[in-house]
Amino acid sequence: MIVGVDAGGTNVDAAVVGEDGVQETAKLPAEDVSATVLRDLFREISDGYTVDRVVVSTTRVLNRIVQDRLPSCSSVLVPGVGLAVEHAFAADDNQVVRGCIDHRGRVTESPVVDAEPRHPVVAVTAKFSPRNPSVEEEVAEELEADVVALGHEAGGRLDFPGRAATTAANARSKPAFQEFREAVASATEDLSFNAPVYVLRGDGSMVGEGKASDAPASTTRSGPASSSVGLLALSGERDAVCVDVGGTTTDVTPAVDGYPLTREGYEHDGFSTFYEGVSSGDLPLGGDTRVTEDGLARRREDYAAAFGGEAPAFTDALNVLGAGVGDTDASETAFADAGLSEADAETVVEEYVAELSDAVESAVEEAEGSPEVAVFGGALAGCLSSRLEEEVDLDVVVPEHADVCGAVGCAAAKVSVRTEVHVDSPRGRMTVSSVGSRSKSVEKGRRYSGEELHDVVVEETVEETKAAGGDAGVEDVEVLDVRRFNVVEDGKVEGEIADAVARVKPGIRWL
Amino acid sequence: MTLEIVYHDDYLLHEHSPTHPERRERLMYTMDQMQEEGVFDLDMVELVEPEAASEEALARVHTPDYLDRLKEMSMRGGGSLSGDTHVSEHTWHQSRLAAGGVVRGCRDVVEDSCESSFVMARPGGHHAFADRGHGFCFTNNTAVAVREIQESYDEVDRVLVWDWDAHHFDGTQEIFYSDPSVLTMSVHQTGRTLFPGTGYVDEVGEDEGEGFNVNVPVLPKTGDSGYLRVVEEVFEPVAREYDPDLVFVEAGQDCHFTDPITDLGVTADGYRRMMERAVDLAEDVSGGDLVASLCGGYGIEGGLPYTNLAVVASMAGLDTSNIREPAVYQPPQRQPDVDDVVAKVKSTHDEYWNL
Ligand SMILES: [Zn+2]
Repeated sequence: MIVGVDAGGTNVDAAVVGEDGVQETAKLPAEDVSATVLRDLFREISDGYTVDRVVVSTTRVLNRIVQDRLPSCSSVLVPGVGLAVEHAFAADDNQVVRGCIDHRGRVTESPVVDAEPRHPVVAVTAKFSPRNPSVEEEVAEELEADVVALGHEAGGRLDFPGRAATTAANARSKPAFQEFREAVASATEDLSFNAPVYVLRGDGSMVGEGKASDAPASTTRSGPASSSVGLLALSGERDAVCVDVGGTTTDVTPAVDGYPLTREGYEHDGFSTFYEGVSSGDLPLGGDTRVTEDGLARRREDYAAAFGGEAPAFTDALNVLGAGVGDTDASETAFADAGLSEADAETVVEEYVAELSDAVESAVEEAEGSPEVAVFGGALAGCLSSRLEEEVDLDVVVPEHADVCGAVGCAAAKVSVRTEVHVDSPRGRMTVSSVGSRSKSVEKGRRYSGEELHDVVVEETVEETKAAGGDAGVEDVEVLDVRRFNVVEDGKVEGEIADAVARVKPGIRWL
Repeated sequence: MTLEIVYHDDYLLHEHSPTHPERRERLMYTMDQMQEEGVFDLDMVELVEPEAASEEALARVHTPDYLDRLKEMSMRGGGSLSGDTHVSEHTWHQSRLAAGGVVRGCRDVVEDSCESSFVMARPGGHHAFADRGHGFCFTNNTAVAVREIQESYDEVDRVLVWDWDAHHFDGTQEIFYSDPSVLTMSVHQTGRTLFPGTGYVDEVGEDEGEGFNVNVPVLPKTGDSGYLRVVEEVFEPVAREYDPDLVFVEAGQDCHFTDPITDLGVTADGYRRMMERAVDLAEDVSGGDLVASLCGGYGIEGGLPYTNLAVVASMAGLDTSNIREPAVYQPPQRQPDVDDVVAKVKSTHDEYWNL
């Protein structure tokens, strides 16, 4: 059995999924997911099942970004020679260290560490570090810091300014992600799950928790990734607009050909990464959005009154109109106490549906018109679907278990580890990094053809996927990048340096 | 300032032999450097892909016999034009694509879809004649583009071709030798010590083109200060007097001190300064219309990534203060001056230009 866990900003959902589909589901309100909450949740659903793996998605990092609660970071840069280093300034404290790595990964100037980072959270990024991690490691060792993120761990691509920004984002995300990781570890240990834990990235691919901890900023869009994958899996739709109403936001994600559309990069108020993520539009509106006499306040203060809050929120407006979600009496009282009427409730629901249908229509546009269905999830889907259907030119479906679609999405996502192969044949070495990192030796001076290298990375990806509990075949592997160049010294080819990146195409186990 | 970089992955296909100096790593290492610098993500830089030059465009410069021979040899899978200039199955396609890249760069600049353009193609072209090729060159990409532009645009009558490659541009010189509508100027390591052995001061053009070919052969080890003096005392005054509609730089990066097949002393900073002068010159004479095309350059590790970056950054108006070679590379200490050759050029061209 696979346990999927979706830790959103206000609720944590879980689902147990096996060969025969969804077996158990549960939902608990929780603003900061602790080990205790997870333990309770796991205990509720997992009794009697053998757990093969646990897959989690978390919006913890995203929530802290939006709430402006991430720590500041010092970015220590080793730019070597080239364009002005200011292009790579991405933190509020940027320090430049002397030292240089060239395009071949050779250290052409040794680092001189005289930086004094102002913050205990530090990012270290060197130009060309994916070709030689040693300089970043050396610099990090000489700095006094509580939390360190290294540029080469952000991902292998060549883009120093982008990597510097992404590394700073990773450093800032680490403490929040680490708390979550420890909570999951402690809960699974207590229940003797003895199963590996994977983390869903924002593009719906999956990595081991260790690798995810090196690059936690890659989880920023895992909320809409898990919910859209879950909604597709539950509905069986392949071209659709996926809508997930949460407590704080509503995610609207187009899907084409059986998978959500993705886009590169994430940016919010100085926090930016080059990671790919599902292409969702987020309305800043959800079940807990505060309702005042001016309408929807576009912010969350607390749970809706129906779930224990004090002031009236969007869920309460739906209850006043007869939705019957949670404690409806509390909703009525909160509305009355705030001097709001049924007409006010109708106004805010119409306001919400109007914004939602605009977002759905732009998602249809982004998917170039292919979706004919909107798949609706989240606890409020049932009471909003007919209103949405009146406004948009799509069928609206609410599949069974749509209230925990994010947790189902985690369990239904195919194991799709991303694998990076780096060959340095003059040194006779190959490094394979995916869930972990391992080295093996290759024939010194060996030169690969593009095809051979293609085959090597495909083979390694299949192997890594199997080790991670997946069952990918060669045909499921997508090669993202192959770069190779000859190393020529004194007019002699001494071998080659090659980088290849592949992944098992993120996919869905249809339920 | 918007700069267009013209590049195609197919520029990596052709190979003479894996250890031949003109090999694909020349572009790969530079592309790696630019990608890692984030050059292509900058607002003022745009990367575009060219199309192959038409056979009609090639035929304006080359003889039908030569084009047929080159095409046939390449289709057959290989052959050679000279001891070090090998034809591969990719040569025909890639040469047309290189010429097409220069055409694209010139068109976009003349049509103002960008302010300047840098063409990063291979193979190079300046040793290609109308009816033959050697020196790693097959089609004269620059000549093909200049003819195409002159043919297509009424506003382009006069073109300045300024070739700073370490080798003399024998092919380009001959193609335009009697044509005053193209002013050709070259500074190069003297033919006494380097291929192709031509390029002396007294080769000044002929017939109507007399005076419109300027050669400045310099001594081995000549470095930044020598090159800058040639620019100031010869190229700039001649170019201003000529007043071209388009400035074209044949940007050979093989004057770099790490280049394995030449013997000069120019640094990445020297290239930066030369390109800045070319940018300023174009501002003054051609409304800023400037195209540069990568020519030679074989210092693939210590030279090209830095010289190309210097040139591109200067054209895009970026801060260039940190562009240099890493400290493991040191330029030669002793550099000859250019007094003699500058004096000789001035006296030889005295009857054509106010020097
Ligand atoms: Zn040359």
